[in-house]
Amino acid sequence: MLVKPSRRAAAALAGLGLLLVGCAKDAPQDTFRPAGENARDIDGLQRPLFYVAGVVGLIVFAFIGYAMWKFRDRGQEIPEQSHGNPKLEIVLTVLPAVILAAFAVPAVSQVFALDKSDNECVINVTGQQWWWEYDYEKGSTCGGVEIPESIVTAGELVIPADTPVLLRITSRDVIHSFWIPRLNGKRDAVPGRLHTLRMHADEPGIYVGQCTEFCGLSHARMRQAAVALDTADFQAWVDNQLAPYQAPAEGTLAAEGESEYAAQCSRCHQVNGLTDDSGNPVLAEPDQSVLAGAAPNLTNLMTRTAFAGWTFDLISDECRDRLWNEPSETFGDVYLQGVWMYTPADATTPACFNELNLREWLRNPPAMKPMYTDPDKLEATDGLTRGMPNLNLTDEQIEVLVAYLLERK
Amino acid sequence: MALTSPAPSRSLGAFRRPVEATGWKSWVFTVDHKRIGIMYGAVALFFFLVGGTEALLIRLQLAAPDNTVLGAGLYNEMFTMHATTMVFLFVMPLAAAFANYLLPLQIGARDVAFPRLNALSFWIFLFGGIFINTSWFLGGAADGGWFMYSPNSSGLFSPSHGVDFWVLGLQIVGIASLLSSINLIVTVLNMRAPGMKLMRMPVFTWMVLVVQFLLLFALPVITVALFLLSFQRNFGASFFDVDKGADPLLWQHLFWIFGHPEVYIIILPSFGIISEVLPTFSRKPLFGYKFVVFSGATIGFVGWGVWAHHMFASGMGPVSVAAFSVATMLIAIPTGVKICNWTLTMWGGKLWFTSAMLFAIGMIVLFTIGGLSGVTHAVATADTQQTDTYHIVAHFHYVIVGGAVMGLFAGFYYWWPKIFGKALNERLGKWNFWLMFIGINFTFGPMHVLGMQGQPRRMVVWPDKLTGEGYFDLAFWNEVATWGAFTIATGVSVFLWNVWYTHRKAEVAPLDPWDARTLEWMTASPPKAHNFDAIPNVHALDELFHRKYEEVDTDKGVRLKKTSTAEEVLAAEEARGDAHIHLPSPSYWPIVLAFGLPIIAYGIIFNLIMAFVGAAIVLLGAFGWVLEPSVAEPGDYESPSDDHHMKELDPVG
Repeated sequence: MLVKPSRRAAAALAGLGLLLVGCAKDAPQDTFRPAGENARDIDGLQRPLFYVAGVVGLIVFAFIGYAMWKFRDRGQEIPEQSHGNPKLEIVLTVLPAVILAAFAVPAVSQVFALDKSDNECVINVTGQQWWWEYDYEKGSTCGGVEIPESIVTAGELVIPADTPVLLRITSRDVIHSFWIPRLNGKRDAVPGRLHTLRMHADEPGIYVGQCTEFCGLSHARMRQAAVALDTADFQAWVDNQLAPYQAPAEGTLAAEGESEYAAQCSRCHQVNGLTDDSGNPVLAEPDQSVLAGAAPNLTNLMTRTAFAGWTFDLISDECRDRLWNEPSETFGDVYLQGVWMYTPADATTPACFNELNLREWLRNPPAMKPMYTDPDKLEATDGLTRGMPNLNLTDEQIEVLVAYLLERK
Repeated sequence: MALTSPAPSRSLGAFRRPVEATGWKSWVFTVDHKRIGIMYGAVALFFFLVGGTEALLIRLQLAAPDNTVLGAGLYNEMFTMHATTMVFLFVMPLAAAFANYLLPLQIGARDVAFPRLNALSFWIFLFGGIFINTSWFLGGAADGGWFMYSPNSSGLFSPSHGVDFWVLGLQIVGIASLLSSINLIVTVLNMRAPGMKLMRMPVFTWMVLVVQFLLLFALPVITVALFLLSFQRNFGASFFDVDKGADPLLWQHLFWIFGHPEVYIIILPSFGIISEVLPTFSRKPLFGYKFVVFSGATIGFVGWGVWAHHMFASGMGPVSVAAFSVATMLIAIPTGVKICNWTLTMWGGKLWFTSAMLFAIGMIVLFTIGGLSGVTHAVATADTQQTDTYHIVAHFHYVIVGGAVMGLFAGFYYWWPKIFGKALNERLGKWNFWLMFIGINFTFGPMHVLGMQGQPRRMVVWPDKLTGEGYFDLAFWNEVATWGAFTIATGVSVFLWNVWYTHRKAEVAPLDPWDARTLEWMTASPPKAHNFDAIPNVHALDELFHRKYEEVDTDKGVRLKKTSTAEEVLAAEEARGDAHIHLPSPSYWPIVLAFGLPIIAYGIIFNLIMAFVGAAIVLLGAFGWVLEPSVAEPGDYESPSDDHHMKELDPVG
């Protein structure tokens, strides 16, 4: 049977076309829309690489297609039994070598260029099953903004825009990998090792990412984002993170929530400034319950837009879409309002708060995100959990806890 | 090449050897490389269906955002076992099936060097494969990914027995591959027919030889890594325990020093197959035989220097990254040479588009796509964007499915009449080809887009909010990929139907249906138990072609003319057949010895007493093996092909 070469060529082209056309419309983790200098450098090398690979592929397929058509069996004589052509072979060996050498030089120099360390802003990043912790060290400066006290947050990495940031990455349990596609490539978080990764965002905005080294059960639900703010907004963010604890007003649901929080949540989750009845600080001891020894700090939970491994939104879908598409000039103003974003000044409840997600989580966390919390199956870890167990909270407890947490802004 | 040996004597052995030439015992106790090859193929195809079902379940789960077909734990087990099954229980043993069956035939030998060892390899592989898969029913399969990175694979983080099954199962299957590699190396180096110089060997034999050397050196590395891991999990060692100062990158290096040569172990046999198929159906020798052979050997060597390109994001430091980046680009050169040579083999030929030829050409096209995307990962910084995304999944599936599997299917269609005496149906073959070719492009083509749009691998769910919209809507392309996967499955079903149909309906194929070129076609189809009545004398590369065709002066000048048919060539060979043919006798002991290994493994997992029982069986098998007479008594054993030759049995094995 004779195969029509046009069909084969069309099929081959279709496959290659997919590879060639890189530009995307709107996927938030699109690697072809660099938003900072590191990712842009990579893009500058990667694009021509795709184009050259595509052209080489087309040439090969054209030759194959032409040979299939031209030399199909039309009753011709048995061809000459030639065993090859050494000169042609050598040319065909040298040619790809030259093309590859042309890429090897910039490829190698870029490896070293992207490995340079900056110290304008150094942030510690620690991976844990299945969320990221960020730690801004006391006494450091970040893009000119002083960090007078240590700031510990989770999920959403806030950085100053247009500033070289250096992440110092490690892990408390298994290997994870930190990736914000629009800002840079990946870097693994390996327990016992400290790796650095450069981050740079040209403009204020939110850049989403995902843990990309398989890290066990809920690997798919270990996400993260980088939020870039201009210097003034970043200063405001730092000030807010370090603002003194504000206890709920007497007699409110939130006040009930505070004691409920101290009883139920503070075993693992730190809220800075929270004190017990005798005025002593309430200190979380997550190492008593959690295998890796840490749980997200909730002091300013409502300044973040997602929780539990940055998987579940703290803001509604509409607000999220608006925020993600916010122009860079106005982004910081909106973001700094946390769940109160897009809320009229005279409103008493936040317009964007995704209360349902938080309630559902408090009711039964492992049902929303698979984790190792079943007390009957924790022999390997001596009863320590990986993730948050179901605390069997009542509706009333959830009600007051949500009210309390809503004030952690 | 008959081996000299002492006169057969029963006094040396305690047990009689089996003598059945038909029925199930003739398969279970066989040491015939052809029967072992067929059994390898049948078992590999079974595991292909297992791994394929796992793939379809994965694609169903990913068909829509936030899907709920599989839970997180089951999904992790599914992709771990899909890769493990496809690599270790399908592609490798299927290549071993072709190698076992064809290698002795292609070099003009009557069997492999160590026939009993060959049977042992097969049974160990079978029992190892079954062992790994029983984990599904004994508490869950391994869930750490086929790369099984430390420390996630430790007892602390993966407490179920799945990883134990995986470790011990691969250890068992590795023994099979290691034995087989030694066997085939010795066979190729020592048992070639007179005149079969190394540079006259068919390219398939050459590529298989390179693969056996890769196996010989790569398997000990993974064996060590697996021992370290199983001692950590089962006996309290702490090789990968970070708290005690271990560096998790140790496992990654060990795994990929094995894992990257493994890639060439998977692909080179298919390079060999299509290097046989393309010349046959182009009616012309392989273009640049020496270049193809040496580039294959070069890939075998350079393949050892590229393992850390799997670790560009691991944080191993810029010097290592740069060095491995350049080495990885280097390996593209010999690979490119092969693609050029295959294309130029067709150039100026007289092309016959049989199903085998279509699969071979399809292999070149798909492998080229996989190779080119591979070059884009070689640039290390670009790879930090691509690695662990679907872009990589696209790349290696184009290489493994588009390259290795398409090549193996070309092998099915090409050698089926040789192995079973009947040719697979060509019409169904073309359906098979087009469904698989289109299916592969629709499954793995979109994954290039998915990956560059930022969809990572190994994620049970992909949230709707991250799908984007427009041309690169990830939900849409995931759905396309799932439809593509079912198209491939349909193609495979057509193949299975074709096998059934051929065996029920097809007529006996001609002796030389493809006007082939190499020695395996210079004997009966299927070949007699002793392969060749007379060991052929080899005068040239493509020996059979030169026996069939001669240059004849015509009025148009010198032309190649077919001066004799394969039947005539075969008749001439049979006329000078050997009076006494030495064949190894069947043996009880390979299957017994092999049976002990999974019992040891179950014992290590569940109860050490059982491990001692397994060890006793292994010892028993080894003693039986040694105490068995070197041959059956003369006249005990008649080979299945009932011809006029008297059998005097040889102590080989």
